[in-house]
Amino acid sequence: MESASRMDYTRFMTDVTKNRKATLLRDLFNLQQQGRDDWIYVIAGLPNESFFPLKEGQFTMADGTKIILDKNTMKECLQYGPSGGYPPLVKQLEAMVKKHHNPPRWSERKLMTINGIQDGLAATVTMMMNERDFVLLAKPTYSTYLSLIQPYSPRILAIETDENGLIPGSLKGALSRWNPKEMSKAHKDVPKFLYMNPTGNNPTGTVLSADRRREIYDICCQYNLIIIEDDPYYFEQYTSEAYPPTFLELDTECRVIRLDSFSKTIGGGLRIGYAIGPKSLIEKLIFYQQVTTQHVSSLSQITLHQILNVWGEDGYEQHVEKVKEFYWKKRDDVVACAEKHLSELCEWNVPGGGLFMWIKVKNIPDVWDMLMKRAAAKKVVLVPGNGSMPDSSSPCPYVRVAFSHTPTEKIEEAFRRFAELIREEMSINKSTKG
Amino acid sequence: MTVLERIKSCQAPALHLGKRGFKDESVTICSVLCENTILNSADKTIYKRMDHQYLRFLNDIASERKESLLRVTFNEQNESAGIIKMGGGMPNPKLSPIREGSLTLADGRMITLNEPLMEEALQYGSSTGYGPLMKQIESLTQRFHAPPCWPNTMMFVTAGSLSGLSLAIEAMISKGDYIIIDNPCYPGTLAITDPYKPRYLGVEADADGMNPESLRSVLSPWNPQKAREATHGVPKFLYTNPNGCNPTGGVTTTERKKEIYKIASEYNIIILEDDPYYFLQFRDQKDFPPSYLSLDVDGRVIRFDSFSKSLSAGLRVGYITGPQPLIKRLNYHQQCSVSHASMLSQVIISEILRLMGEDGFLEHVRKVQEFYRSQRDKMLDAATKHLSGLCQWDVPAGGMFFWMKVVGVKDTLKLTKKLSETKRVIVIPGVGFLPQENQASPYIRISFSTATKQEMDEGFRRIAELLKEEAAVNK
Repeated sequence: MESASRMDYTRFMTDVTKNRKATLLRDLFNLQQQGRDDWIYVIAGLPNESFFPLKEGQFTMADGTKIILDKNTMKECLQYGPSGGYPPLVKQLEAMVKKHHNPPRWSERKLMTINGIQDGLAATVTMMMNERDFVLLAKPTYSTYLSLIQPYSPRILAIETDENGLIPGSLKGALSRWNPKEMSKAHKDVPKFLYMNPTGNNPTGTVLSADRRREIYDICCQYNLIIIEDDPYYFEQYTSEAYPPTFLELDTECRVIRLDSFSKTIGGGLRIGYAIGPKSLIEKLIFYQQVTTQHVSSLSQITLHQILNVWGEDGYEQHVEKVKEFYWKKRDDVVACAEKHLSELCEWNVPGGGLFMWIKVKNIPDVWDMLMKRAAAKKVVLVPGNGSMPDSSSPCPYVRVAFSHTPTEKIEEAFRRFAELIREEMSINKSTKG
Repeated sequence: MTVLERIKSCQAPALHLGKRGFKDESVTICSVLCENTILNSADKTIYKRMDHQYLRFLNDIASERKESLLRVTFNEQNESAGIIKMGGGMPNPKLSPIREGSLTLADGRMITLNEPLMEEALQYGSSTGYGPLMKQIESLTQRFHAPPCWPNTMMFVTAGSLSGLSLAIEAMISKGDYIIIDNPCYPGTLAITDPYKPRYLGVEADADGMNPESLRSVLSPWNPQKAREATHGVPKFLYTNPNGCNPTGGVTTTERKKEIYKIASEYNIIILEDDPYYFLQFRDQKDFPPSYLSLDVDGRVIRFDSFSKSLSAGLRVGYITGPQPLIKRLNYHQQCSVSHASMLSQVIISEILRLMGEDGFLEHVRKVQEFYRSQRDKMLDAATKHLSGLCQWDVPAGGMFFWMKVVGVKDTLKLTKKLSETKRVIVIPGVGFLPQENQASPYIRISFSTATKQEMDEGFRRIAELLKEEAAVNK
């Protein structure tokens, strides 16, 4: 049921964000782009395109299809563009979002392109966070998100997770110190957003179930929280069943900012993602983009737009299906290798999505030194789980293993070395205990 | 005394090591400080003290930023034979839909992005920058600026130079801070700083750039001895667009730069040198006045370079140069935000530079400069023909804009509105370039980057028409 009432989004903005406005030059740029013939524009300092060093180009796709950048397209690729996104690409992405997530209250939302999800995440933090704010997040969580918020000296409310993702009861527990009605209206000293990486969670690989998503969404409504849905692995879910709904799909109150990207399906080097959310919040993110990156690389956006054109809807679905099959097999491989070499030494859940396996080393309370100091000699690189914990100084027995790009034979060898490393570490620990 | 003994005996903060007396040795001092392999722990303390000196400029959030764990993990374990890396969740290049590419240069030559290069262009990259591009920008920086503190200088590629500028300002600014800027100023910078409701100290800028006397005047409320150690209530950085300044078109003279640097040194102020029109100065490259970076014996300049006017704005590639203790922290912020400029863009810019060669690139920008100079001359003709007596201007020494004062008009805001509504000509009112709100400006900014001769002629004819109509009405 759609609620008619609209949220007060200014409650979620820092003072600095409230002061952000559209920049004069960007507004005039947009005006100039409208290009009416009988007007004379002598305003924007657009570089003269007669000096662009590239005239035209082409990309060859895996199946041999060519993406042609003709003279006019190349000029666009090399010229300044509008903040918020290359309009034809924005249209395509809106259509994709509608198709996959069918968000309620569509007209109240806005979509923008961003320099990868990380850029969008940083922008939401800048938009909403003050020093010493309360921050709700899962334990463990995406380590770079922790890097982003740590400088604010946040009061972290770490929510417990299990093999099915974030535990709603734990979220309720963390919020229980507040009265929901009072907290919903408060401007200070209350958490105001929940950061979620619900699908193929980095680092645990869990996929949050549909029931839990609904429960969590309801809790967020009760306590008036914005949900930041960080969802780069949406298409990497290792199941033949229907995917659980995204938070965007459940968003009857228009409180979700969803961040998605083409990094895993096309390439992280292009730096293209998108954010979709309530208009007034996305507008603030666009104002911020105007004073930072200005816009995502025109070449990246136009190239993506052309690829999506060439594929059409079906072609895109086929591509992501291939991607999913590939990583699914890799997931199976890495689990099999773990079973072969690590079953006595470690515990794990089978990742339901994403590109990581989260492995607990049974008899080593803290893997930091083992991985940062001794693993190099064994010629294997694995990431200690400490960085994924809100309290990175606490001992952590977990290891994050990325299985996206290592050939299977090498995974096997890596785990063999890892097992050796663990055994050596255990005997070091024994001998130091005397 | 050996150099090290002189450093240890130096009472002044490390930033003042570059005093006149040390000038010749400043490079040695810096290289000694930074060659960690020859520093023992006592000397490392000095290096840390230098690092500590820069903390004064950083706000609370910026001083808490740390290098991201994943970067540490990657840096610690270098690519060497036999290492199996299962650290980063890098997408598998086999799945990329684009295999290769080719781009045609203006002169007909081809850039080929073969499979390995295309793979690199589509994969995550380092937050500092694509390796070959880093080498090229380091070479350009050495060639044009030869930063005196080079061993303590760090550079990284940014997603456009504005991105670098915003990283720097965000790291240093707090609400209500004093900020020194050009007056008039590039509105993009004002848009970064306005939301913090700063107290602007606008320094008059004219055809010869920022005026040192005006700078002294805005700084006069502060005692330099006290100011340079203070962390609050003092201006800590100065923003300037020294060449082809947007909007004035002025180029800051060598004398003025030296004087301004001296003042910045006295008050211990960081200079943000925003220089996207560096190559668009309307004079021979050999006659370019030195940059602030090239004068930077103290290690107090952060310079922002851009490829937007020389190669491409749409690719979003620029770079930042400055003292390592500050720049590394800006890079920590980039690591968890933008991550890096588009790799495809960086690879392409690098390939263009490689094919052109450094000399070829300089020849290219010389042609670009010639073109904009001829555009300036055309606009000057049109202005002389139509606007003499109605407007006043200095001839721009660089950049893309004319900054014109409308005679007898206090504020051009209403005028520019009328101009667009009744004459269908759009120019920017000067008030948009003023650091303070609710001020009036008799200026307008007009761009000559893309207008044709006919457009300039017709546009100025219409402006003159309106000005004459307005003058008649006011009589």
